[in-house]
Amino acid sequence: MTMREGRVFDIGYQRYEGPRGGRAQARVAIFKDGIRTALGIGRGWRLKIVPWLSIFAAVLTALIMAIIVVTVDRVLDGSEATIDLPSHSDYYGIASIILFLFAALVGPELLCPDRRSGVINLYLVRPLNGVDYVGARWTAFLFVMLLVACLPQFVLLTGLVLGDPNPWGYLRDNWLDVPKFLGAGFALALYVTTLALAVSAFTTRSVYAAVFLAGLFFISLLVVNGFTERPDVGLDTRKWLSLLSLRDIPLFLNDIIFFNNGATLESVGEGSSAQNTARLHPNALLTAWYSLWVAGPGLLLLLRYRRILS
Amino acid sequence: MNTRDPLLVARSLTKNYRSVVALDSADFSIGAGITGLLGENGAGKSTAIKIFLGLVKPTDGRAEVFGRDASLDIEVRARLGYMPEHDCLPSSVIASEFLTHMAESSGLPRKQARSRAADILRHVGLFEERYRPIGDYSTGMKQRVKLAQCLVHDPSLALLDEPTAGLDPSGREDMLELVRKTYNDFGISIVLSTHLMNDVERTADRIVVLREGRVVEEGEVASFTTEKSETVYIEVNDRRDELASSLSAQGVSTRMDGSSIVALDVGEEEFDRIRDALAASGASLRRMGPRRRSLIEVFEDGGGKASEASSRELSAESAGGGA
Repeated sequence: MTMREGRVFDIGYQRYEGPRGGRAQARVAIFKDGIRTALGIGRGWRLKIVPWLSIFAAVLTALIMAIIVVTVDRVLDGSEATIDLPSHSDYYGIASIILFLFAALVGPELLCPDRRSGVINLYLVRPLNGVDYVGARWTAFLFVMLLVACLPQFVLLTGLVLGDPNPWGYLRDNWLDVPKFLGAGFALALYVTTLALAVSAFTTRSVYAAVFLAGLFFISLLVVNGFTERPDVGLDTRKWLSLLSLRDIPLFLNDIIFFNNGATLESVGEGSSAQNTARLHPNALLTAWYSLWVAGPGLLLLLRYRRILS
Repeated sequence: MNTRDPLLVARSLTKNYRSVVALDSADFSIGAGITGLLGENGAGKSTAIKIFLGLVKPTDGRAEVFGRDASLDIEVRARLGYMPEHDCLPSSVIASEFLTHMAESSGLPRKQARSRAADILRHVGLFEERYRPIGDYSTGMKQRVKLAQCLVHDPSLALLDEPTAGLDPSGREDMLELVRKTYNDFGISIVLSTHLMNDVERTADRIVVLREGRVVEEGEVASFTTEKSETVYIEVNDRRDELASSLSAQGVSTRMDGSSIVALDVGEEEFDRIRDALAASGASLRRMGPRRRSLIEVFEDGGGKASEASSRELSAESAGGGA
C-alpha cells in the first residue's frame, strides 16, 4: 500500500482584498446583532431566560384562549345561550402584561450594556454614526417585538380554525382578523419599542430602565383605573384621565382597528376601565395621542444619540 | 493614494473644550510604520486620535485621514482600527462571536468576518480560548481582544490608545511584541499613543511628542537616540578600576556606568588609546561598542524641547511600576 504524501503550507497572514459593504452593511450587522441580543442568541443561558419565557407565556396565553373558545363553542353547540368569548381583538389586552414586561426587560439590553461596557465606542469608530446605530437597534427590537406580539395571534388563529367544525368556513368568515391583528400588533410593537429604547437611552444600567418602564406601564394603569372605575368621579374627568394610562395607549388603536370604536355613554357605563372609558373620545384624538407617544420618545431617542456622538 | 503619502495629517489642529485647550494649532503628519504619539496625560493625544476617528470635531484646523477629511467622510473609518484605552468589551459574549460581529460592522461579509476573527484570535494568542465569554478573561487577555477587534477588519492603520495600560511587565512585553509583529508581519501601520517612553522606544520608528496640545518634537526615534559625538561602552570581566586609571592616563575622558565604563567623545585617536589602555591594564574585555542613548536620557539631559514634560512622564512611569 502506498502512502499519499501531504504537505502543509503556512501561507501566513493574508490581507483582506474582498468587498467592504460600508455603511449599509454596518447597519445590517448591528440590526442582526440586536435581534440576537434581544433573543439571547449566542449569549449565556441567563440571558435567554427572560425572552424565551416571555414568548412561551405569550403563546401559552393564546393557546389557552383558543382552548377555552373551542371548548365553550362545543359545549354550547345547539344551545341558544350566548357568551362573549375572547378573540383576536381581546388578545393584546389580555396579554399586555406579558408584552410590556418583555419590552421593559429586554428592550434596555439593546442599548444600556453597549454604553456601560464601552462597546458603543467601538461601533462609533466604524463606518456609521450614532443615528445609524440607534436606528439599527430600534429596527431590530421592533422586529422582535412584532414577532412576540403577532406569533401568539397566529397560534390563536390556528387553534380557532382547527377547533371549528368547518375550518375553511371559519377562515372565509374571519379572514379580516389577520390584517387587523397584524395592524394592532404593529401599533403595539411600535409604541413599546420606541418608549423602551427612549428610556434606555438615559441610563447605562438595564435594571434601572426596566424598573422605570415597568413602573410607567403598571403604576399609570393602576392609578388611572383607580379613578376611572370610581363612580363618584365625573365622567369628563374620567374620560380625560383615561388617556394617561400608558399601558392602554396602544390598546386604543387596537379598539379602533377592531371595532372602529363609537362607544356611547351607555355602553361604557360606570366603573369601566381606562381602556373602555377612552373609547368615548373621537378616533382622531386617540390616534393623535398615540402618535404623540411614539413621535415624542422617538425624537428623544434620536437626539440623545446625536448628542452622544458630539 | 501613494504608499509614501502620509496616512494622517494634522494641519493647525485646534480643539477647545470651553476654556480648556486640548490641542493648540498642532501640525504633524504620520506615515507608514509605527509612530509613537508621546505626551503626558492631558497633552492632547486622545483628543487628536478622536479627531482622526471623526468622533470629535476640531474647533479649528483640519484632520486628514488617507487624504480625506475625517469629520466629513465616515466611510474612511472602514480602513482604520482603534483600540481604546478604557474598557470596551461586552462581558457576556464569546470572543469569537464578538470579533465576527465587529468585522461585519466594519463592512466585511459574514463568511469572511468569521474566518478573519479566527485568524486574528490566533495572532493575539487567544485561539484556544475563543469560545469563552470575554467576561471570564484576565486583564491581559482582554487587552488582546481589544487589539484583535482593532485589527479584525484588516485596517491600513491602527490607532492604539495606551495599549499596555494595566498590564504587568510580562504582559506589557507581550503586547509590545504583538504591536511590532502587527506591522512587520501584517503591514498594518500603527500609531501608538502612550505616556510611557519605554514603550515608544522599544516599538516605534517615529515619534511625535505633544505637550499642552502642541507638537514639541517630531522625527525618527533613532535621530533622538544617536549620539552627536560617539560614546563607547566598555564592559570587562575584571580589573575595571585599573582600566579606568589607564584610560585616564591615556587622556580618555570616562564615566562609570554601573559595572561598566563609558568613554566619552571618542574619535579615531581615542580608539587607539582605549586599545592601549586595555593592554596596559590587563583587563579581559567582555564587550565594547558604540552606545545608543535611550529616549529617557535624551529628554532628561535636555536633549529635546520636551525634556520637562518627559521627565514628569518618567516619574509617573516609575511610580506606576513600569519596566
